[in-house]
Amino acid sequence: MTKIGLEIHCQLTNLKSKLFCSCKANYREFEPNQNICPICAGMPGSLPRLNQEAVKKATMIAMALNCSTPEKIAFFRKNYFYPDLPKNFQITQLNIYGDTSVGGSGSISVGDKKIRITRIQLEEDPGRLIYEGSSSKNQITLVDYNRAGTPLVEIVTEPDFETPKEVRDFLNILSDLLKNLGVADPSLEGAMRADANVSIHGGNKVEIKNIGSFHDLEKASHFEITRQESLHDRDIPIVQETRHWDDKRKITVSSRSKEEDLDYRYFLEGDIPWVKINSKIQSELKLQMPESINSKKERYVTKYNIPIQVADVLSSDKFYSDLFEEAHTESNAKEVANIITTELMGLVDTREKRETSKLTAIHLKELADAIQTGTVSRNSSKNALHEILKTGKNVSQVISELDLGNVSDESELVGIIQEVIDAEPQAVEQTKSNPQTINYLVGKVMQKTKGKADPTLTLDLLKKQLT
Amino acid sequence: MVTTEEIEHVSKLMKIDVDDHNEYLEKVQTMINYFDILDSAGVESEEISMPEIPIEELRKDEYIPFGEKLIEKMNHYKGTYVHAPKMS
Amino acid sequence: MMNLKISALEFVEEVKNGNISVEEFIGKTLERINSIDDKLHAFLSINEDAIDQAKNLDKKIKSGENVGACFGMPISIKDNMCIKNTKTTCASKMLENFIAPYDATVISKLKKQDAIFIGKVNMDEFAMGLSTEFSAFGPSKNPWNTEYVPGGSSGGSAVSVSSFECVASLGSDTGGSVRNPASFCSTVGYKPTYGLISRYGLISYANSIEQIGPLTRTVKDAAFMLNLIAGIDPNDNTTVNNNNEDYLSNIDSGIEGKKIGIITEMIGDGIDPEVLTATKEAISKLEGLGAICEEVSLEMVKYSVAAYYTITATEAGSNLARYDNLRYGYDFSVEGYEFNSYISKARKNFGPEVIRRMIIGGFVPSAGHAGKYFLKAMKVKSKLTKEINEAFKKFDLLIAPTVPVQPFKIGEKINDPVSLFLIDINTVTANLTGKPAISIPFKIVNGLPIGIQLVANSMNDKLLLQAAHALEQTVSLPEVPI
Repeated sequence: MTKIGLEIHCQLTNLKSKLFCSCKANYREFEPNQNICPICAGMPGSLPRLNQEAVKKATMIAMALNCSTPEKIAFFRKNYFYPDLPKNFQITQLNIYGDTSVGGSGSISVGDKKIRITRIQLEEDPGRLIYEGSSSKNQITLVDYNRAGTPLVEIVTEPDFETPKEVRDFLNILSDLLKNLGVADPSLEGAMRADANVSIHGGNKVEIKNIGSFHDLEKASHFEITRQESLHDRDIPIVQETRHWDDKRKITVSSRSKEEDLDYRYFLEGDIPWVKINSKIQSELKLQMPESINSKKERYVTKYNIPIQVADVLSSDKFYSDLFEEAHTESNAKEVANIITTELMGLVDTREKRETSKLTAIHLKELADAIQTGTVSRNSSKNALHEILKTGKNVSQVISELDLGNVSDESELVGIIQEVIDAEPQAVEQTKSNPQTINYLVGKVMQKTKGKADPTLTLDLLKKQLT
Repeated sequence: MVTTEEIEHVSKLMKIDVDDHNEYLEKVQTMINYFDILDSAGVESEEISMPEIPIEELRKDEYIPFGEKLIEKMNHYKGTYVHAPKMS
Repeated sequence: MMNLKISALEFVEEVKNGNISVEEFIGKTLERINSIDDKLHAFLSINEDAIDQAKNLDKKIKSGENVGACFGMPISIKDNMCIKNTKTTCASKMLENFIAPYDATVISKLKKQDAIFIGKVNMDEFAMGLSTEFSAFGPSKNPWNTEYVPGGSSGGSAVSVSSFECVASLGSDTGGSVRNPASFCSTVGYKPTYGLISRYGLISYANSIEQIGPLTRTVKDAAFMLNLIAGIDPNDNTTVNNNNEDYLSNIDSGIEGKKIGIITEMIGDGIDPEVLTATKEAISKLEGLGAICEEVSLEMVKYSVAAYYTITATEAGSNLARYDNLRYGYDFSVEGYEFNSYISKARKNFGPEVIRRMIIGGFVPSAGHAGKYFLKAMKVKSKLTKEINEAFKKFDLLIAPTVPVQPFKIGEKINDPVSLFLIDINTVTANLTGKPAISIPFKIVNGLPIGIQLVANSMNDKLLLQAAHALEQTVSLPEVPI
């Protein structure tokens, strides 16, 4: 039986400042070492200043993952030397004096499986190392502290995953959840990283680090399971060790053994008192939390009768569900949901989503209403949407300018139907023996009206005119 | 009791190149042996206490740039990097 | 020379009244330093701009502009506090070339009050020591007898104040490092309640227990300094709100009816007979002023030194890890080195005492040993705090000699680590428990000073200063012979 556990690091990129200082949390726009101060650069005499919002956001994440959240949290030092670590210790969280990290003992459903969350902790990201030089002889290591001190939430799971696919599904759910909470943007480069630990048949755990993306995580898990299985088949014992993912060769490689066992000498961080988050504040945080994806999904299904698959897609995407919330009314909710999931999502790719500023909730609402009143057919509404995305013009303007209005005038339609009947004598003949052929004729009418004929009305009139 | 090997191990951990571990052995051993007195303090059941701060008193989340080019006041290299030794 | 022997408050009066100019006083101070510091080695660096700053201040005063409360008072600063754009070495080769890029909070506050930082003063390297003998730049000497140690680790602070090389000083106290040299040099040395004074800009040694504290000629001066530098600081999450308390007002309200506990464990074995006599005399004096004195036992004091050194070594080992010489330090290029070998070689520049403490600091919290040493030490700290809190239910103040011995000769104890440790036995309790404590110069015996220590409960700094002032007024001490 395969067991996979995960350690996910997620940057709280939606915060304005770093975890312990007021430098910018999202460092990506800066030239090297232009987003630093004495605190995050580890200058002598500097002291950490804990970010209140970071604690709140981390607590919300813990709540969203059904964790218990203690009323007092503490920070610890993890001591080791590395050039990307300005103080040569990392301020992080542990649970050695009772439960002192922001959250613990939670769970999240992946399909019908429950994945247990061991703990959630708040900690700081180290800086970045850049290597220059072609050979190992002339290699230069350059350090950039812009990222040092960026707030990270580490999410540790129990080894409840049994397949790499489950891991992938979980990561997608987690991404959506974090975006929905408004705490992070997992699509930003390096914003979400994960390590995995893998064991088979109750054997030794192997830790895999240096996995660059979620896609790689699935690959790495798959590779590692295969590697362990093949060792197992040949009765070769699996060593408990740390391996790193070699992205070029697509394999896991045993990490060079350290000279000495790392001993982190964990102890309480004396510069940060224990933070009290009493039950009143915790209730306030719960109320402030955006509605969960599951809750939205349920509401869409039960309140608006939106089909489950549509509700699923809509609720998992914060951008579109926000749009839905704004655009819908009691009567057009289903239609709006439909437009978003079947048409809009196909027209706009992920990157552009933020550039769809021309599209507003009002557009969607009016478009949905237009479809429902029969002013425009579903077919035509696609063209309308295209135009709106390009120009931002309002719905009625677009419908008239592109002449997308439905042909629902009976007399006009009767005329067009007669034209089609006259032009298709063979088909008309066939309808007598094969009634389905009438759909072909409806199609011809639709063609003639450029899709603007009301299909139901057309069918009725066609039937009448054929007899 | 602390051995020379342990001192060697710890000084590697603390990244201090001690030329002669024996030189430090005697004094360090004396000091650590003195700490054995803690065993008779009878404090096993004590709780560890720490100062506390309510979450409302923590720093507000605002971006305030340091305002000066700190990198210019540090050992810098190639413009704005810090030069580290090569990693093995 | 006469006018250098005034207190900080007297200095302020003299300048306000126009009796002395700041420039004159600063000039005379620099002359004094030039003439005697070769013998004493209190200073590591002198402020080249001091005279100019004094001149500017005199101009401001003449033109009737608002001037800060210090009126150009020359203050020395222990070299572990950051003053922007000046060298801050912690008396270590590791920070030989370190120029601080920002001001410590206490420095900004004093700058606003128009203090003049006359220079940075000597200390034990990274504040680890009791005699200033562990400075990488040579020891400081006790002005009462230059063959003797001035105490430590704020030795330079105490020497500069007691020998009139400045009017006041800021030191730092982790296990007695302000009170001990104050006692050895016959000055007032004050360690406030933990959290009263911001540590932002104080180069950390043991951050969970250390505090910046003033060394001054009188208790009133210490209260004056406290008024200027105490208070909650957003740059230091461990500071507490003191509601802008005025420590100077009503400082002479006396100690009639106050109950003072004599800490049994601090007047027992190992105490110098002269020190014991002095302590008894101090107790009599206090009783004469209306205080009620009685013995009280703090059992955990016996373990306090071991706990103290275990905890501080652990914190120091971590706080000093940042000194890898990559961003700041001294000249030593990374060219041709591999990471581990560079760092280990660079850090050889720590002095032997610091290296010893870091080896201990790596050992006692390590996976196999934390339970026996570090965790036990933390528990002793907790229990000691409980004991002293109990004591303060019955007593308003506690008393003990600051140091169980009189100053010893330079070199005498440097090779006996445990004997050196035990010098701290009377002072570490206040650090471990976060309580305010002060050393008052009390007596000179055989030409060497003895100081008496008073301790109060957390946030009772005002009461402590009142009691200290009352005791101080009962003695009249000879002048320093230099």
